[in-house]
Amino acid sequence: MKKILVLMLALAMFITPVIASAEATEPYEVVVIIKATTSDFWQYVLVGAQNYAYEYPDRVKLTLDGPPSEADIDQQVTILENHIATQPDAIVISSTSSDATIPALEEAQANGIVVITIDNRLNSDCYDSFLATDNYVGGGLAAEQMVKSWEAAGIDYAAGKVGIVNAMAGVQVLTDREAGFRDKLTELAPGVEILETRFVDNDMTKAISAAEDMVSANADLIGMFGCNNVTGDGVCRVLTEQELGDKIIGVAFDSDPEEIAGLESGALKALVLQDPYGMGYKGVDFAWQKLTGQEIPKEVDTGATIVTIDNFYDDDIQGLLDPMTLKKY
Amino acid sequence: MKKIKLSNISTVALLLILVAVMFIALACASDVFLTTNNLQNLIRQTAIYGVIAIGMTFVIMSGGIDLSVGSVVGLSGVICAMLMSNASWPIFPAAVAAVLVATLVGVFNGIIIFDGKVPPFIATLGVNTAMRGVIMLITGARMISGLPKAFTSFSRDTFLYIPMLGWVWFIIIAVAIVVIKYTTFGRNNFAVGSNTEAARLSGINIRLTTYGVYTVCAFLSAIAGVLMTARLGNGVPTGGEGYETDAIAAAVLGGASLTGAEGSIIGTVLGSLIMATLRNGGNLLGVNSFVLDIIIGLMIVFAVMLDKKRKK
Repeated sequence: MKKILVLMLALAMFITPVIASAEATEPYEVVVIIKATTSDFWQYVLVGAQNYAYEYPDRVKLTLDGPPSEADIDQQVTILENHIATQPDAIVISSTSSDATIPALEEAQANGIVVITIDNRLNSDCYDSFLATDNYVGGGLAAEQMVKSWEAAGIDYAAGKVGIVNAMAGVQVLTDREAGFRDKLTELAPGVEILETRFVDNDMTKAISAAEDMVSANADLIGMFGCNNVTGDGVCRVLTEQELGDKIIGVAFDSDPEEIAGLESGALKALVLQDPYGMGYKGVDFAWQKLTGQEIPKEVDTGATIVTIDNFYDDDIQGLLDPMTLKKY
Repeated sequence: MKKIKLSNISTVALLLILVAVMFIALACASDVFLTTNNLQNLIRQTAIYGVIAIGMTFVIMSGGIDLSVGSVVGLSGVICAMLMSNASWPIFPAAVAAVLVATLVGVFNGIIIFDGKVPPFIATLGVNTAMRGVIMLITGARMISGLPKAFTSFSRDTFLYIPMLGWVWFIIIAVAIVVIKYTTFGRNNFAVGSNTEAARLSGINIRLTTYGVYTVCAFLSAIAGVLMTARLGNGVPTGGEGYETDAIAAAVLGGASLTGAEGSIIGTVLGSLIMATLRNGGNLLGVNSFVLDIIIGLMIVFAVMLDKKRKK
């Protein structure tokens, strides 16, 4: 019941704008399946994909789909199977689970469908190209930036504590970010104690509570790291409300309006940005290249970028911060 | 009647002892637990869930269940944010309008359940999904920012050392107690929960009582939605997701029975407080998140088991 209703809405929202373009040039049919339709990040992937289709209507015709939430792993598999049944030329997918989609994708490849995976690594070789942020490296960048910000703010990091608020356990990209952050920070600031990670079900209210409690329990807290936008928002709210931005260095992954406001006000000192727009755009481009017989690399790191108030106003950074501004269609 | 009342009192006593034990243990384990700052945080962290749990208690006492509270919280939260941000409405009218619109979901629930004869579990499950869809549609699944400072600072403001969120919760607690104990609606609700057929034969208007409880529940959830938006500083489309489980857990921990006619507002308040205190204490002490979940889950089960055993 729940799933059917949401699926119907999702279909209504995302399939409607994709109407067949001129048939004369016979563009390739490409299906783009994201992890969750209800997240800004995945909407940015779609903006990238749709911009590509808008720029090259003769190359590809897109169908966009995805389950409402990243928790709906089984639903994503069903969506994938349904699309494979229609025999598209290529599938661009960010698989929520590293395993659940493998049988379907193997079948797709066996049927000659080009498979491009983005964001999440599969535990199998059943893809033509994989584009993603190296999240372990991204987490390390966050730790490096935290140390730089401590130095800039004159905070002594020979001792002190750092808290990590993470959205969910058992999600590979989040685990990688946290591991990258922990390893790099231990290397650069061995005297700093990293507290037990708080997991908050990707709920902003719980993220605020967790950050609030960390601040009140640890008088010597000198840094907080939010592993995605929701946890970044939680850290940002607490540092904003209690005006602790210069005492506790807040660094977070991704960007949304709250995080951006936090960066401008100084509550957060840095954001680590991935390039979801690029993942969508390049993912579709790679599918087209492969279909036209060109060589494409098996693995591509789409990169992570550190944004501080110093480079905040650069044009390319603004595009990364809010890819909706890049929307062409 | 007398027996139920007696057992209610002792459920509350049991919960009070539990709260006291937890407070003493946490005060010994952490030197920040009893600070003003942390107690204020604890009230803030409990208030939003606490308000929803009171609404849930009304429904559970009538023998029903409301799984749509999470989406009502979300709906009222984003409507309030959109009116203030996109339409530049002043704070108060925006909050009132958001609460009124979201409360209609409760009226709708009541109609489906009474007139449509759909079991409450299914009816509110469906409505929850549909309403979340509405939220996503009207917001385009994007966060709504740019709320007035006076609104967002409400969640940090205090009056007589008590956070404003806490005051709202306390007022709602007081009104709910009066409604349950001293109004016809409250007593009818109890009668319907204990035996619908007997209640109907004794002339109680089941239709109005059913509409009433789901409307009250949605109304309180809608208020919680406005409070949540103030606390988050943004209208968040996924806000409130999964809150129904916490609300049900708090009510049940507080002595409410899913078969109806049992439960009390004070019990639910203590139930909410226990759950929030466990989370707060867990965060302060840096208890592993997964271990904390295990503790909270088992606590709910054991507390209810103990309560049932004692009543026999």
